[in-house]
Amino acid sequence: MVKVGFYQGCCFQGQDAHMFETMKEMFEKIDVEVVLLEETTCCGGNTIDEENRKLSYAINARNIALAEREGLDMLVSCNTCYMVIAKAKRALDTNKKLRDEINALLKEEGLEYRGTSRIYHLLDFFRDVVGYDRIRKAVKRPLKGWKVAAYYGCHVLYPKEIAVDNSDNPSSLQEILKALGAEVIDEYEGKDACCGYHSFFTDKSMTLKKLNRILGGVKKVGADIVATPCPLCFKSFDIYQTNMENSPKVPSSFLPEIMAYAFGIDKEKAGLAHHLIKVEKE
Amino acid sequence: METAVLQVFRYDPEKDQTPYYKEYEVPVEGTLLNALLYIKDNLDPTLAFRAFCRSEVCGSCSMRVNGKTKLACKTPMKELVETWKGKPLRIDPLNHLKVIKDLVVDIDKPIEKMKTLIPWLVPDPRVVPTDPMHESIIYPEEMEAYKDQIHCMLCFSCYSACEAVEDNDRYRGPFAFSKAYRFQVDRRDIETAKEKRIRYAISGGLWSCVQCQKCLYVCPKGVKPAEDIQNLRGQAVKKGFTDKPGAKKLKHFVDWIYATGQINRLYLPEEVYGNREAREKLTKAYTEMGVEVWEVPKPTKGLMKFRDIYLEILSKEDKALDLDFSHVRKIDRMVSEIFKADICTIIDRAHEEGRSSRGLISKLKGLLGGK
Ligand code: SF4
Ligand code: SF4
Ligand code: FES
Repeated sequence: MVKVGFYQGCCFQGQDAHMFETMKEMFEKIDVEVVLLEETTCCGGNTIDEENRKLSYAINARNIALAEREGLDMLVSCNTCYMVIAKAKRALDTNKKLRDEINALLKEEGLEYRGTSRIYHLLDFFRDVVGYDRIRKAVKRPLKGWKVAAYYGCHVLYPKEIAVDNSDNPSSLQEILKALGAEVIDEYEGKDACCGYHSFFTDKSMTLKKLNRILGGVKKVGADIVATPCPLCFKSFDIYQTNMENSPKVPSSFLPEIMAYAFGIDKEKAGLAHHLIKVEKE
Repeated sequence: METAVLQVFRYDPEKDQTPYYKEYEVPVEGTLLNALLYIKDNLDPTLAFRAFCRSEVCGSCSMRVNGKTKLACKTPMKELVETWKGKPLRIDPLNHLKVIKDLVVDIDKPIEKMKTLIPWLVPDPRVVPTDPMHESIIYPEEMEAYKDQIHCMLCFSCYSACEAVEDNDRYRGPFAFSKAYRFQVDRRDIETAKEKRIRYAISGGLWSCVQCQKCLYVCPKGVKPAEDIQNLRGQAVKKGFTDKPGAKKLKHFVDWIYATGQINRLYLPEEVYGNREAREKLTKAYTEMGVEVWEVPKPTKGLMKFRDIYLEILSKEDKALDLDFSHVRKIDRMVSEIFKADICTIIDRAHEEGRSSRGLISKLKGLLGGK
């Protein structure tokens, strides 16, 4: 049994608390215990950096320090949280002055950033810690006949310093989907485009153009569903897609959901039953 | 000798009706630029591309390999072959630019776009001596603020890879914002010019950047346009340009994270777009189910200490916005009222009783919709 600290961010609580339940049950099937890092806060969403970059570093030094206090590595699912936290870690690990300054503040809470915990994203965690083999063995309901378009999202591939896979030609997501028995589609128009989630509240027109590009591309190649390891990309696909004028109505899945389904968890519990754009495939 | 196949984009507008790809077998040796030079010297002297320094200085040799923007003289052939696992390597000119011939593109457009952001020093006579016999000194500490940006060599890799350029023709381009930012933090530059740059940056698409980070990834010189864009956004808000949705989003983040440790996605549409409807629809539905709607996680035990850290930094640092304490107090009041019967408590109770919260959540989710 592997134990790892789970950073929830905004994506796994409140309205989306059920996504954590799905995540947890899915991980049980592959012998991973995810421990919720309770005291953590929002990573700043790559927006607090506009206010002040040091504030973003401090918030995330604190978040990482909470995992270190538990003696656990940190697992992050959201691509953006992952990037923001991994960037902060790099800054803290390479700049002693910054680290000392922030540690002086964390001390008040009895915390210290030491740099001992590794930050994993779902993709490298599956590849390096769990292993594709263990995923394959846990499959009870192979996704036979499912044509699944693989969509990574940006913040696990760029910038290079924090990328979890080969940024130009990544393979981890395809490997995972293959292990589930799906037919993987990784060539389609828009596969590298941004999902548009973050621009919904800065320039909405961008979001809709991006969705058009990606989901239009997915539809054109005849995929049944698009799967992404990022809960934000997923929300852009499932929720913001309903804002499109000529919505292509492409179903999407947050990666842990179809994993859970393939591991034998029912559609309802896997979360697949609750999408705005119905997942018809059985 | 190990070889690889390059499928090179060919197009001579004077002769060719449409572009086509021509295949060349090249040695897997040295850089992509070496391979192109090999073609020119040994296989096909008609191939046109730009290159000069061969050492990542002049910025003229950027192009795309299987869609990914690369600086040819910095990219080892071996790395390309390994990355693409034996697949053919398709070489295209930079994206978003007009092709002059083969891999040579017209860079006038992005240069003109850049010029609209005043990418030069407008000296402040109070700082820069007008007497040419006097030096204008820059101290090393000052250089820190723009030490990366000055390395931009106008290779347009970032312009080619940019997600904002792709969907907004007005967008000035990642490098252009970095050039502008470089003068925004120069002490010698006059305040009126800084103000203008911000104004022009906003009309040039400052808020259209989607923060994809591709510009950081492709820049051969370690410039970080996406981060400079964040800095410029901060400056814009600080200078009072607060009417754009992005500025309101920032305010939401600054206040809510301080107040609760989290953003609040229920209030975000309302605070940014004035869209009350989404929240009210949900609130009503929750209330009918006997749940007072709330999206804030329970304040963590360390919330007050977290606030201290937050304030400590903001009190010392240059920042875009001051915390709006009246907003924070309002949030505080809502939190304390609502935590009597909030969704988190209900979920927690369900968990304690060994039930799943999914039934409840799924009912609510259907109401979420878009908008
Ligand atoms: S982060 Fe912004 S500027 Fe950089 S490539 Fe993406 S959209 Fe363009
Ligand atoms: S910022 Fe970097 S990638 Fe963009 S033009 Fe300058 S050197 Fe090239
Ligand atoms: S040839 Fe000058 S940068 Fe490549």
